[in-house]
Amino acid sequence: MAISEEEVRKVALLARLEINEAEVQSMAHHFDSIMEHFNRLKELDLENVDPFVVEDSGAPLREDEVAEWGHREDVLSQAPDRHGDFFRVPRIVGEEGQ
Amino acid sequence: MDFHKMSASDLSRKIASGDIKARDVVESSLKRINEMEGKLNALITRIDEMALEKADRIDGAIASGGDVGCLAGVPVVIKDNMCMNGVRTTCASRILGDWKPPFTATAVDELEKEGAIVIGKSNMDEFAMGSSTEHSAFGPCSNPWDTERVPGGSSGGSASSVAAGYAPLALGSDTGGSIRQPASFCGTYGLKPTYGLVSRWGLVAFASSLDQIGPFSRSIEDLALILNVISAPDGKDSTCNPRKRPDYTSSLTTASLRGRKIGMVREFMDYDINPGIRSAVEKSFEIAKSEGAEIVEISLPLMVRYGLATYYILAPAEASSNLARYDGVRYGISCKAGDVMDLYLHTRGKGFGQEVKRRILTGTYVLSSGYYDAYYLTAQKVRRMMTAEFEDAFSKVDTIFMPTAPTPAFRKGELLDDPIQMYMADVFTLPVNLAGLPGLSMNTGYDDSGLPLGMQIVGPKWGETDILSIASVLEKSFGRPRVAEGGCC
Repeated sequence: MAISEEEVRKVALLARLEINEAEVQSMAHHFDSIMEHFNRLKELDLENVDPFVVEDSGAPLREDEVAEWGHREDVLSQAPDRHGDFFRVPRIVGEEGQ
Repeated sequence: MDFHKMSASDLSRKIASGDIKARDVVESSLKRINEMEGKLNALITRIDEMALEKADRIDGAIASGGDVGCLAGVPVVIKDNMCMNGVRTTCASRILGDWKPPFTATAVDELEKEGAIVIGKSNMDEFAMGSSTEHSAFGPCSNPWDTERVPGGSSGGSASSVAAGYAPLALGSDTGGSIRQPASFCGTYGLKPTYGLVSRWGLVAFASSLDQIGPFSRSIEDLALILNVISAPDGKDSTCNPRKRPDYTSSLTTASLRGRKIGMVREFMDYDINPGIRSAVEKSFEIAKSEGAEIVEISLPLMVRYGLATYYILAPAEASSNLARYDGVRYGISCKAGDVMDLYLHTRGKGFGQEVKRRILTGTYVLSSGYYDAYYLTAQKVRRMMTAEFEDAFSKVDTIFMPTAPTPAFRKGELLDDPIQMYMADVFTLPVNLAGLPGLSMNTGYDDSGLPLGMQIVGPKWGETDILSIASVLEKSFGRPRVAEGGCC
């Protein structure tokens, strides 16, 4: 199945990724070649396979304990746009109070 | 004394006993870097002053009889996707700018606690996505055996550093072959441990169900030594298994292949593999046989036919989610914009390189509404089947010998415009990550033009002890990897 350039633009917007026209074309072409591999998976009978069983994950549960971490300033100091103890971003809520 | 050719084990013994000074060893490393780095571009960030200060502290502690750790004074190189407090960490991307993490990755911290001295952060494919270390915002890295060729990737800078003698040890990360394939291309040893053996706290995430930190070296003893150090259980990484770790060095001296069953994968016989690589694997079987091992033919049909598709659905899906955090708000570069949507679009469009964009878009597509079942869920099911296929194989054999990569190092630019061919360089390594298994790539020698050849030993989960002891037997026959001089073949 071919993926149109329009679909590539839609996916790029979903991914919050600006791409130029050359990248749109190159990506549509890439999708064409990789889909050939992806579609091979349809050859397999997967009816009774549970995809999310994990054996021996070994990951233990633990209490969710709050701990002090003394490097707040080190984190904030690297903000591209800082206002006091806040990260500043462009306005998100509409100007007209929508 | 040629410090740059010595193993970590020899260096640490001589430094701890006071025979040689940590400062002299670090200075020798820095001199080696000064001589070679113009040709190799293996390092993104050097930390010469920090390294020399640490060397002096270790020399001081030794002079006053203090405990300095099992890697005291040993230079190490760290892939630039692992955090070090106050040292720029880039992931070879523009998007992180000059970000300096306020913490150190557990694996790096464990090395430093044992006295190892980090001398630099190594070049890599951006966010570990690539097989050639050409996808770096800091320029491509070269293979020290032939500077016209790639070192492999994504941990190409770490492999190149160890091969060229910058350091006897380096850390890389392996999501689909990113330690083993460059180890094969650069003629070193490289180990991708079992998923959950080494803490990933402080490793910048690419695909969280696949990523694993592991070491490079030029001796099996060194590989076992550093694995002892970095495999400490860590409560800060919930995927890091709390099970007790063995001493990986203890089984090396008495290692024997007598009675071992080694798997030979039938499907690889028909696969288009470079003749040099094929003979490297065949030679490994011959040695194993002459040392008393039994060679057992096994079949892994899913791995060869479906591994690439499964990986290139699941890894980009996870990457698209993990890389959503680079939004220009909290760290890294940020493009001025009138609204928040434009801030995201411009920052990410400008900050990420081609291959990362390709993976984010692929991942977003396979997770998007209407396609999730057809791609992501299907791939998860095939991953389960592939894991079962390996489990079945390991009920018949102790380990499997196979190629690491289908070819020796390829030329720079050769595969850059053909992403799928580039992905094929990892066809034998990807399935090992999908199943969470350990795999070691070992240098077996060099082809007629002088390029290193490698093969891979794959074991069942937590099978590092067996893999290392088998590798130590092979090492005696093949000889240890040589240090490269940065010329052309």
